[in-house]
Amino acid sequence: MDAHAAQHALAATPAFSSRPEDLAWFILLLPLIASASIAAGVRRSTFLSATLSIGAVVAAFVLSIALFLPFGLGGYVAVPSTFSWIHAGDLNVDLGVAVDRLSVLMLLIVTGVSSLVQIYSTAYLKGDSGYGRYFGSISLFTFAMLGIVLADNLVMMFVFWELVGVSSYLLIGFWFEKPSAADAAKKAFLTNRLGDFGFLLGILMVWSATGSVQFAGIANALALHPAALGSLASIAGLLIFCGAMGKSAQFPLHVWLPDAMEGPTPVSALIHAATMVAAGVYMLCRAYVIFQIPGAWPAPLGFLSGISALDIIAAIGGFTALLAALMAVQQDDIKRILAYSTLSQLGYMVMAVGCGGPAAAMYHLTTHAGFKALLFLGAGAVIHACHHEQNIWRMGGLWRRLPVTFRTFAIGTAALAGLPILTSGFYSKDAILVSALDGGHPVLFGLGVLVAAFTPFYMLRLVIVAFFGPARSDAASHAHEAPAAMTWPLIALAVPSVAVAWLGLGDFLSAHFDPHFHAHEGGGIFGPFNHAPLAAMFGTGALLFGATAAFGVYWGVAKDPLPAQLGCLSRAMRDRFYFDELYEAVFVPLHDMIGRLCGAIDRWVFSGLIIRGVHGSVELFGRGLRLVQTGNLQTYTFLFAAGVAVVVLLATI
Amino acid sequence: MSLSTLLLTPFVGALLLLLVPGNYRVIHRFIALVTTAVTALEALRLFAAFQPGIAGIQFEQSSAWVPAAGFSFHLGVDGLNIGLVLMASLVAFAATCVSWDIERQPKLFYFLLLLMTGGAIGAFVSLDLFFLYFFNELALVPTFLMMGIWGRGENRNYATFQITLYLTLGALIGLSGLALLYSQSGANTLDWVVLKAWLAENPLSAHSQRLILPLLLIGFGTLVGLFPFHSWAAPGYAAAPTATAMMHAGVLKKVGLYILLRVAVPFLPEALHHWMYPLAILALGNILFCGWVALRQRDVLLLLGNSSLAHMGFCFLGLAASGVIGVTGVVLIMVAHGLLAALSFGLAGHLVRATGTADIDRMGGLLKTMPFVGTALIMALLAGCGLPGFANFPGELTVMFGAWKTLPVFVIAAAWGGLLIGGVYMLRAIRDLLHGPVRAELPQGDDAGCWRRVPFLTLLAALIFFGVNPASLVDRITPAAAAVAGVPPVSAPTAGSEPAGHVAVTSSPNHR
Repeated sequence: MDAHAAQHALAATPAFSSRPEDLAWFILLLPLIASASIAAGVRRSTFLSATLSIGAVVAAFVLSIALFLPFGLGGYVAVPSTFSWIHAGDLNVDLGVAVDRLSVLMLLIVTGVSSLVQIYSTAYLKGDSGYGRYFGSISLFTFAMLGIVLADNLVMMFVFWELVGVSSYLLIGFWFEKPSAADAAKKAFLTNRLGDFGFLLGILMVWSATGSVQFAGIANALALHPAALGSLASIAGLLIFCGAMGKSAQFPLHVWLPDAMEGPTPVSALIHAATMVAAGVYMLCRAYVIFQIPGAWPAPLGFLSGISALDIIAAIGGFTALLAALMAVQQDDIKRILAYSTLSQLGYMVMAVGCGGPAAAMYHLTTHAGFKALLFLGAGAVIHACHHEQNIWRMGGLWRRLPVTFRTFAIGTAALAGLPILTSGFYSKDAILVSALDGGHPVLFGLGVLVAAFTPFYMLRLVIVAFFGPARSDAASHAHEAPAAMTWPLIALAVPSVAVAWLGLGDFLSAHFDPHFHAHEGGGIFGPFNHAPLAAMFGTGALLFGATAAFGVYWGVAKDPLPAQLGCLSRAMRDRFYFDELYEAVFVPLHDMIGRLCGAIDRWVFSGLIIRGVHGSVELFGRGLRLVQTGNLQTYTFLFAAGVAVVVLLATI
Repeated sequence: MSLSTLLLTPFVGALLLLLVPGNYRVIHRFIALVTTAVTALEALRLFAAFQPGIAGIQFEQSSAWVPAAGFSFHLGVDGLNIGLVLMASLVAFAATCVSWDIERQPKLFYFLLLLMTGGAIGAFVSLDLFFLYFFNELALVPTFLMMGIWGRGENRNYATFQITLYLTLGALIGLSGLALLYSQSGANTLDWVVLKAWLAENPLSAHSQRLILPLLLIGFGTLVGLFPFHSWAAPGYAAAPTATAMMHAGVLKKVGLYILLRVAVPFLPEALHHWMYPLAILALGNILFCGWVALRQRDVLLLLGNSSLAHMGFCFLGLAASGVIGVTGVVLIMVAHGLLAALSFGLAGHLVRATGTADIDRMGGLLKTMPFVGTALIMALLAGCGLPGFANFPGELTVMFGAWKTLPVFVIAAAWGGLLIGGVYMLRAIRDLLHGPVRAELPQGDDAGCWRRVPFLTLLAALIFFGVNPASLVDRITPAAAAVAGVPPVSAPTAGSEPAGHVAVTSSPNHR
């Protein structure tokens, strides 16, 4: 089937593969081929499945590097080939890849993290009966994610968007016999669907206004007519943002991400930390031009004039960042802490986009992908060592027993907390704080600083409780370091978290969004303190404050002291501020009630509508006839005569 | 290779069956399988040989039948029906494959199945509306017989009675609409090609258009399950034997839509424009109401039946929107939904047979015990809630784009919301049927073995092929869609300018 499609494609574009940017097609298709062959039967062999899947993604990684060199470093402008998909009337959708700085960087992240996660998984899932299926699904996910990255138009992005949703569904529900996993998978899919609802409507609006679904076409149309969307400009932007709200788990659609931790831990590392959840932010950056046009509201929403779609996006991002950070403070499950931390960091990125800093958002996305994947894989190693114990209060003293895991985890924590100079997280977080300040959002800046204080607090709480102190369970006291297939990916991911390898990335990305961008003088590792000292100082201060508080509260305690001190606030934080309960109490019964009502109407009103109608009319007719059957000869004669008269009348007309 | 051989094949197979004595069961099955396989291969070759990007009828064959009345035996395919012919023959093959468990009177069963196949293909390839109608009736009668004889469940007598009454009545009302068209047009023919040329010169008055369309909509709409004339569908499919449900939900239900596309869109554009909002509201009735009804079902067959009705709503929405994009989308959905409905009913039939129950509450964890059927069913259910990668998605997407041009935002939002409801009940079904712990008390039915997978794999392959590469269908459909949707609305100046606007856009070929 695919071969046929490919042949069709080859015939359509004879120049195929003569240009380096066409490498992107191979990068995209390699994981698909792996996934399809695993589904077709290779899955019966555990070794072959893993080899095929890892081979494909590593090859894709190498090709991504090859693509990065001319496009990322050189100024080569790509003109990739496109394949026709739907051409009907003035709807023109092609499959095409967009190769530019944004996508080649993202390709590196996706294929790189996916490679390491898959290698790690060979050890983590050893002996699982669904081993082959796992690699098939994760290859499918990688394919779908690469599709989002490479999509050059909104429809294609939507297609892969949904595919990412479904492959994530398969992976969260990997242990589908477990009711909690099956429920979590369903919840994730449906919550994402809710966001996609808006996304597609936004796409339709943009298409009808600009006549194109291609990013380039939209940008051209909007450059010519910035008011093309008319009074729907802000609404269209917000609808498109709805898609990101689902995928990147922004408030109020954030509820699926923590539940998604029911999937295997490497899946959480790949999907719910580094890639899928980043897709929302990536999409906002990709479609940024739609958000840049002047905002406008239809008349009923006139009171919103002066507020742009970006302002609302920034507020939602900032709110999510704080909300999730608060929730993270009182979680006891090691994966859930990381999940809420991911929510919070995603909120940061969305806030940055909203503040007019897509480059900062992408910068943080990149560094975060590395250290959050590291943290999740580290958590996986801990869980693996403690025989599937996930409660940090039943761990302790692990730093001595799991030295590699501990060291790499500590590096990841430092990066997430934003340790200045040494870690990548500091620079990207600083870029976000700077963009809030430059964008004229002092409140959001303050919020960002607050979150920057909470982050080291909950992360150090996790590290202190899980890795230090005495072992608080048998499993923890007998923990052993994970095998090499698990520790090497940790080390590999720790490198980009400490190294200053990403240092030029901010400028690299800024140049993508702003052709007139000029890098600041006096960059280097002390750059942030030179050209935006306020943000850098506040960020560092927040880190110091949060870290000190964490040591003060948690060093040497056997039980969380916060619930006693905070009371019901602590309960609310632990119970996620009751959003899940609220949704379950409102939307689920409402939906069920409508269903019940429709079911009843269908059964009692419509079912047999015609049957009852026919039955009724036949009976009425019968009753009528009975009235005529009087047995009276005169009546019969009269009726006969009347009948003849009618026939004669009809015949003469 | 011609349309007449394609059309004759099932009937020849049916005749052959009659010649074989009743106790040679293997030979009956063999003849039916070979016949439908040959039909499918022929249809595949025709589909491949069909020239995309060209307007007009291809593989045309014609001979006069009753010249005085203007009836002719006129066969031909264009973009509107080439995909449907392929879909019908693939579904017929799959339906024959899954009928291995028919114990009682298999000869009669396969005979009726082949008759149904021949009737369905005949309806799709006939360009004379009289024969179109005739073949449709020819295919409907076996449906009722099969339900009555081989049906399942307690309600089957009532369901058979109901479906017979509804569909016969619907067809009659539709026929009266066609008769009115015949008498009002003055062309003295029901040959579509002649009629089209005639009506292009002498369009029907707005008055007669508005008279004919409701008859066609209610009549043929009932055959499709248009809200509120839909209540025959779900219980009917639940009571029908698997193959019949596959053929009817997949193929026969599309004939009504096909007639509406063929007749209403090109000949009654003014009336269609006039009735656009009521039709869109009824379409929403299908999408939302039937979707919510599906949400309440605890019987897997009733769930699929209602969800299939919800999908039909998208077809009616596309019809209401009309225009090149809308019509293209409707045809795409018709092909996709035909394959999908057959696949889902086939798989559900397998599950029901294996577990002895259709009650969702009594099932669970079936993915563990039946990995192949379970995986295929997950794919079918996901395709049913509009997942890209399967053919339904491009169809629904295209209808959405088409509807956006003519219908108000809230209609599109509500329709898309319908897919959300679809997501809820489909995922709930996956969760309750396939996921979760294995139910020990459930009979451990067999997963589909090697050969039993063939029908499901065939349908899945077609669904995925058209889902990944919709251009292979779209490029065949659009010229015909432009031809039917591009006719100026009416001679009267009151007409809306929407369809005319599309002509201007599409008359320039958009080749890449």
